Amino acid sequence: MEPEVSIEGSSTIQIAVIPIGQIPPPLLRDYYSLLLPLHTIPLSAISSFYTEHQKSPFAHQPWDSGSLRFKFVLGGATPSPWEDFQSHRKTLAVVGIVHCPSSLDLNDVVDQFASSCKSYPSSLVDRCFAFYPNDSQLEDGSKRGGNLRLFPPADRATLEFHLNTMMQEVAASLLMEFEKWVLQAESSGTILKTPLDSQASLSSEEVIKAKKRRLGRAQKTIGDYCLLAGSPVDANLHYSTALELGRLTGDYFWYAGALEGSVCALLIDRMGQKDSVLEDEVRYRYNSVILHYKKSQDNTQRVSPITFELEATLKLARFLCRRELAKEVVELLTTAADGAKSLIDASDRLILYIEIARLYGSLGYQRKAAFFSRQVAQLYLQQDNRLAAISAMQVLAMTTKAYHVQSRSSVSDHSIHTKGIGSDKPDGGKIYHQSVVSLFESQWSTIQMVVLREILLSAVRAGDPLTAWSAAARLLRSYYPLITPAGQNGLANALSNSSERLPPGTRCADPALPFIRVHSFPVHPTQMDIVKRNPAREDWWVGSAPSGPFIYTPFSKGDPNNIKKQELVWIVGEPIQVLVELANPCGFDLRVDSIYLSVHSGNFDAFPVSISLLPNSSKVITLSGIPTSVGPVTIPGCIVHCFGVITEHLFKEVDNLLLGAAQGLVLSDPFRCCGSPKLKNVSVPSISVVPPLPLLISHVVGGDGAIILYEGEIRDVWINLANAGTVPIEQAHISLSGKNQDSVITYSSETLKSHLPLKPGAEVTFPVTLRAWQVGVADADSTRHSKDASCPSLLIHYAGPLKTSEDPNAVSPGRRLVVPLQICVLQGLSFVKAQLLSMEFPAHVSENLPKLDDVNNSSNGGHVNSVDRLVKIDPFRGSWGLRFLELELSNPTDVVFEINVSVKLENNSNEDNHLADRDSTEYGYPKTRIDRDCSARVLVPLEHFKLPVLDDSFLSKDTQTDGIGGGRNSSFSEKISKAELNACIKNLVSRIKVQWHSGRNSSGELNIKDAIQAALLTSVMDVLLPDPLTFGFKLVKDGSDSDNIDPVKESDLPESPASKSSVLAHEMTPMVVVVRNNTKDMIKMNLNITCRDVAGENCVDGTKSTVLWTGVLSEVTIEIPPLQQIKHSFCLHFLVPGEYTLLAAAVIDDANDILRARARATSSAEPIFCRGPPYHLRVLGNT
Amino acid sequence: MATTACFIIVSRNDIPIYEAEVGVAAKREDAAQLHQFILHAALDVVQDLAWTTSAMYLKSVDRFNELVVSVKWNKIKEPRVDNDQIKPYIHIPLYAFCFSVIISLTCGIHTRFMLLHDSRNDDGIKSFFQEVHELYIKTLLNPLYLPGSRITSSHFDTKVRALARKYL
Repeated sequence: MEPEVSIEGSSTIQIAVIPIGQIPPPLLRDYYSLLLPLHTIPLSAISSFYTEHQKSPFAHQPWDSGSLRFKFVLGGATPSPWEDFQSHRKTLAVVGIVHCPSSLDLNDVVDQFASSCKSYPSSLVDRCFAFYPNDSQLEDGSKRGGNLRLFPPADRATLEFHLNTMMQEVAASLLMEFEKWVLQAESSGTILKTPLDSQASLSSEEVIKAKKRRLGRAQKTIGDYCLLAGSPVDANLHYSTALELGRLTGDYFWYAGALEGSVCALLIDRMGQKDSVLEDEVRYRYNSVILHYKKSQDNTQRVSPITFELEATLKLARFLCRRELAKEVVELLTTAADGAKSLIDASDRLILYIEIARLYGSLGYQRKAAFFSRQVAQLYLQQDNRLAAISAMQVLAMTTKAYHVQSRSSVSDHSIHTKGIGSDKPDGGKIYHQSVVSLFESQWSTIQMVVLREILLSAVRAGDPLTAWSAAARLLRSYYPLITPAGQNGLANALSNSSERLPPGTRCADPALPFIRVHSFPVHPTQMDIVKRNPAREDWWVGSAPSGPFIYTPFSKGDPNNIKKQELVWIVGEPIQVLVELANPCGFDLRVDSIYLSVHSGNFDAFPVSISLLPNSSKVITLSGIPTSVGPVTIPGCIVHCFGVITEHLFKEVDNLLLGAAQGLVLSDPFRCCGSPKLKNVSVPSISVVPPLPLLISHVVGGDGAIILYEGEIRDVWINLANAGTVPIEQAHISLSGKNQDSVITYSSETLKSHLPLKPGAEVTFPVTLRAWQVGVADADSTRHSKDASCPSLLIHYAGPLKTSEDPNAVSPGRRLVVPLQICVLQGLSFVKAQLLSMEFPAHVSENLPKLDDVNNSSNGGHVNSVDRLVKIDPFRGSWGLRFLELELSNPTDVVFEINVSVKLENNSNEDNHLADRDSTEYGYPKTRIDRDCSARVLVPLEHFKLPVLDDSFLSKDTQTDGIGGGRNSSFSEKISKAELNACIKNLVSRIKVQWHSGRNSSGELNIKDAIQAALLTSVMDVLLPDPLTFGFKLVKDGSDSDNIDPVKESDLPESPASKSSVLAHEMTPMVVVVRNNTKDMIKMNLNITCRDVAGENCVDGTKSTVLWTGVLSEVTIEIPPLQQIKHSFCLHFLVPGEYTLLAAAVIDDANDILRARARATSSAEPIFCRGPPYHLRVLGNT
Repeated sequence: MATTACFIIVSRNDIPIYEAEVGVAAKREDAAQLHQFILHAALDVVQDLAWTTSAMYLKSVDRFNELVVSVKWNKIKEPRVDNDQIKPYIHIPLYAFCFSVIISLTCGIHTRFMLLHDSRNDDGIKSFFQEVHELYIKTLLNPLYLPGSRITSSHFDTKVRALARKYL
């Protein structure tokens, strides 16, 4: 069978084009392409070369309209055994092509050509065309003559013209040869044989028959030559005769051949005009042709003329091949395809399928064409050689479109564009669904896999590693769910093997694995926030800080999580990051040699990373890069170097795939089968790159780890800021944000400001003083987890120059740096409790009363807070007017703490102080050391401060319970008094500082204000309210009992604590007891005075009394008017020197409710007993 | 029963939504693939024929090497409330389902049942198509079935194979 048969094919003259000598293949193709346009030579053009030697047998030759048709066969064709039957199968002329520069010796050329021509015995005309001869060759060739034709070097148009002329000459020669042949055949006859005849054994009867047939066959052949000579009318005449003879002799084969010739003659005669009548005629005659070829088949023969039947069918199909007649053509082609299995020769079948595929293709039946193309490819693959494999690969490549498995390289950009519409609008509803569906139209996975596998197989055989790689990649990527793990491994091996044959750095349009989708575009890390700068405002940062009580404010610009609406701004020269998710749904370890963002806009440097993925796993990785110049950036996908080849993976394709998976249109979602959670559809935001900005980076000097502080610890932290950008910082402002802002005591924004402008690369260090906050009970366990949340941070707003040189109109934005102060607060010393102790140290009796606490000082502010050192307590004073605050502290940590308690004094109260050496206003007590896991108590002496008057207002709370209701006024005054009370307690508490040290550099303050306050409040009455009666003893000097013992005056006297502090034994010592009524009522009472020795024995009464006295010491009934004091004098005579203690006590008669309440009496019958503090008296011997 | 038969339902988008080798011949992988290739190629012919004939059942539309392709063309017309074609299918008690029925049928148009067979049992094939059609309609009625997606119901598969044994 021959390829590309057509009805008109009977009228073409086959010319072999053979290269002589060495010709580079491209050059040979070039020369061949020069010949190709000369396939039709009009008869009118060859008349100049034509000489009529004899009377032409072609009587009706149309010299004005007819033409000779050539078919150039490059490399020639092997002689067909059927060439006697159809003359157009003969090679009637040979054209040799010589490239003179590579074949210098023309003699050789001529010899070679002559020998080449010998393989074409049917050739009538031989010509050898020599191109580009040099001068000597030209000279030589012009002398030589013969078959050699030299084409002097010229431009292509000239060359074409020359060649045209030469071909006209060839045509004329051929025509003359045809005439010769026909004349000879008509006169002497000719023997015409076909393979059919040679097989038949000739009996005598058949010899006679054969003679008759010979005539018919000769007529048919003459008709063929008439057709070749371009004379259809002559041909028709001869064919008619041949048909007649053929029918008579039953020579169906030749009859069919003649009929075929007659149809061709008919078409040539009509010269391309097609009408339905002609079409019907051709269809009728060709059906007859097919029928007769079929009739001529004889199953006994080895050679079957079935090929002619099939060729005739194809010829008719080609003639009819129009969309309107598709049904008829399909019928013909189906019949032809059925004939394939009767074909013995594989190459015949190949040609048949090729022709069927071509015809289906021209009919627009792409799938049918693809089907037969695949059959062709399979036939090629059966041949098992490299060239056949290459052919198979190329044929299969043509089918990929119909099977929708094209390589991306073969798909034009336009179609990708239209296909990609779907992903632009993710919520287009039904229309969108349709477009998604259309993306997966005709995805017939079974056959797609088979086609790809065959492409892979053929490419491997053909030694085309890139095609093999591409096919394996497509197969693996699209159909991995249908491939067994072993098969997946095989494909992976195929990919690796192919890449080994490829040069490194080869790119392929078809991506393999992994699947890549955008995970997220991280918004700027807080260190790099960009803040729009308002040039009109000096403090442009105000309002931009993410502070405030609301997590979401409607005024803030958009939700940072909603990436869709967001426009990303990248900065030239600053690295950025994009998170992508990779999935390897296959059953092998996937090693990605490098992966980086693919940016087509050219203003971005991407950094490659390498990664390996376990089987059936997915991973989110960070891809980074640096924008290099200002402008928009688009990121369509990633460039991946995997399996030895570089491919581009587009995000859009994976998105479409996932959509298809969601619609049930594709087999599997590669991410879901890897266990990756479903992501929202992340679209690539529009990204723009802005000119460089300054970039501050910060670190805490001494390490960026968490600063570990004990509760209350105060420490300076040095923060180092450096400008890592390329633009100087001209403005900077520091503010605080976050929780526990008050733990930052100071920060030195002046230091930073003084360093402005901060040049690129410059650094500045400034201190921040921190005080650790209290760890709450609930906080204690979760300190580590929530440390970020509870830590304060410094916000540093900064900006470069207002205008940039590149765009003078635009205001360059400012930036914000958040320096989180990572403070980890550990539980430090803990405060267990505080309580007031009423310890009594007896005062010494002297000539003066101990100073009563400002009893007459009505100002609230002044009556507190003169505190003595514990160690230097005034012996004459005792615990008079003092209270001790006991603090119990425990140390649960594993370090040792030293406690230093100090009380700050008010300067204006210094004058009241008894101490001579109080220069400082703050008194420290010896340090108390608390070992780990121990607790300790610290005593803080407090001045015994009392209100001057025992008033019912303070007791109203108590009295109310007793039914004595305070009116509105009293509750009002109570409020005031309470407020005063609270204020003075606060005042007191604020002066107490408990400082601690631990180790070398940990120090801090214990915050115990609340605890002390609580402790004081519980005993507020004791602390604050005076006793109803105050007792005091003093010595009377030399009996001159003066009345000037007014405490006010006394307090004005310069004190001499040591003077007259002691009395002598065996002397009368006049003394006086001073009793003061602190209430507003008259108090009637019984006063008792006792004296005790060191052993505590009463030495006034009893048998062994060692003290004699004068005056009344017991049961002294006294009435004291309100707020007055009385004196009761007596004398003591001490018999024995030593230490004595004087005590005064009184039983109040007719106590009122206030007194009862103050004494916390439970029943009204209970006597109210008042006792004064003990007084110490030292009695010296007079020896 | 036919020695070779390959039944495929092709959606309107030319995606095979159901495939079954229902012949008794020994299953060979390359043969099964060839069957699909033949059916795929026959789509071209079926597509053209559909415009020229009003018949729903196109017998022997295409053939290749003794294998014949027959097609049942499910041209379900644009559904209207008074459409006779739809009425038989709206005999379901739940009113709520009616909506999904209509949607399904709209999406179900132009589904093709394609059978590749080597027997000439036309009546059997016709009955087979008829019964499968009813099965298919039932599948479409399933509100969880997304029209145009793959039919993965094993029940459907079992029924189809049973029908093939019965009629082919």
